[in-house]
Amino acid sequence: MIKISYATAIFVFCVGLYTILSKRNLFKTVIGLTIMEAGALMLIVTAGYVHGGVPPLIPIEGQAVNPLPHAFTLTAIVIGASDVALALALVIKVHRRYGTVDLDKIRGLKE
Amino acid sequence: MRLRDRLHDLVLLCLCLGMGWWLWEGVAAIDDPEYIIGPAAYYLVNTAKETGAVNVVAAILFDYRGIDTLGEATVIYTTVCGVAMLFSKSKYKKSSAGLSFIARRGISFVVPFLFMYGSAIILMGHLSPGGGFQGGAVFATITILFCIVFGSSFEASRISPKTKETIESLGGLLFVFIGGVGLLAGAGFLANTAAGFPRGQVGNFLSAGTIPLLNVAVGMKVGAGLSTIFYSMVKVLDLEFNEQLTEVMDNDKN
Amino acid sequence: MEAFFAFVCVFLALTALVASEASDILSAVISLSVFGVLMAMVFVILQAPDVALTQAVINSGLVTSFFLVAYSQTQKKSLPKQEKDPGDDI
Repeated sequence: MIKISYATAIFVFCVGLYTILSKRNLFKTVIGLTIMEAGALMLIVTAGYVHGGVPPLIPIEGQAVNPLPHAFTLTAIVIGASDVALALALVIKVHRRYGTVDLDKIRGLKE
Repeated sequence: MRLRDRLHDLVLLCLCLGMGWWLWEGVAAIDDPEYIIGPAAYYLVNTAKETGAVNVVAAILFDYRGIDTLGEATVIYTTVCGVAMLFSKSKYKKSSAGLSFIARRGISFVVPFLFMYGSAIILMGHLSPGGGFQGGAVFATITILFCIVFGSSFEASRISPKTKETIESLGGLLFVFIGGVGLLAGAGFLANTAAGFPRGQVGNFLSAGTIPLLNVAVGMKVGAGLSTIFYSMVKVLDLEFNEQLTEVMDNDKN
Repeated sequence: MEAFFAFVCVFLALTALVASEASDILSAVISLSVFGVLMAMVFVILQAPDVALTQAVINSGLVTSFFLVAYSQTQKKSLPKQEKDPGDDI
């Protein structure tokens, strides 16, 4: 189960990276950023999983999973939402200046 | 041109998957752990004695690693400042019309329950999964619902942007003030039981020292901040943008 | 449980691919929202209830609405001679 989780997290990360690099629409860039962050967070949470573990709430019966990755992931999810909001605000401003969100047309207008 | 673009995309995809294969080689060499070592083992064993909280993740976020949470609150504050600054010139010409009468009545029934749900998540953050971040996001969702169903001018008149700004600043100041109390008591910034806050009994509502207060502060900051971001993006454009757009389109024709 | 987890992971990979390749932006944003809900399910199966709650509320509630607001603000507006219709700005 941990191996399947690692493989999916790495695949999702690579799909996000491919989306950022190769798409022309600026919205696709921001979508790729979101997907990449989600893949990286899934990798972190899987790294703390123990076979047959229970959630880390105090009357612990058995072996609890590692609670440190959960704390990092909570912070990272909220920060990810904030930077997606800032990126979308910048996309709106770019549209106001150039009239389009197509990256090829924006580069063409500059020449 | 299209074929060259597709070839570029294919090469890029192969490169990304190659990097993914390299990552997989590195990750698959780790054995599955059977038990936990390091600081996490210490936190799991000593949380009930030292902080009195039931939720170990909340104790880590607000007691053992409290400064990281202060840094994250600063990141949210910076984002709110940035977005509000980018849209500061958009004047408020017309608001949107909102949805129909049935939607408005339905939302009027649902919003008090949403409010109670958000408050319960924030206040019981030390007893069950939840806390300041989740509850703050629920409060931001309530204001987004108001914007969509009733129109943005109604929402601005009920909960004005000044009120949101005050709530957010108060949340940040409360966080730093609680940390300062620990400093005054001689035990270090953001200290919990060492600074004299009552530990209480594990499982009670009033327990775990500063953790409920810090949850409330973070909830206020996150909720007001995300709501301000949404409101800044939803304000209607004024005439200045339309004139710029006709200039760009005229240049295109020439 | 392992078979169900494998099914959810395959669904997750498919949703990510659709969000990346769809030519219409609205379809990509809705696919991203489904991706977020599936990620919350994965976090529950990995015994992380705090993280699952945060992911579900923030990703499906807030990030999707930010995307939709930004998309509606970047549609081509009409020229200033005509009166703008106020109903389709949100």
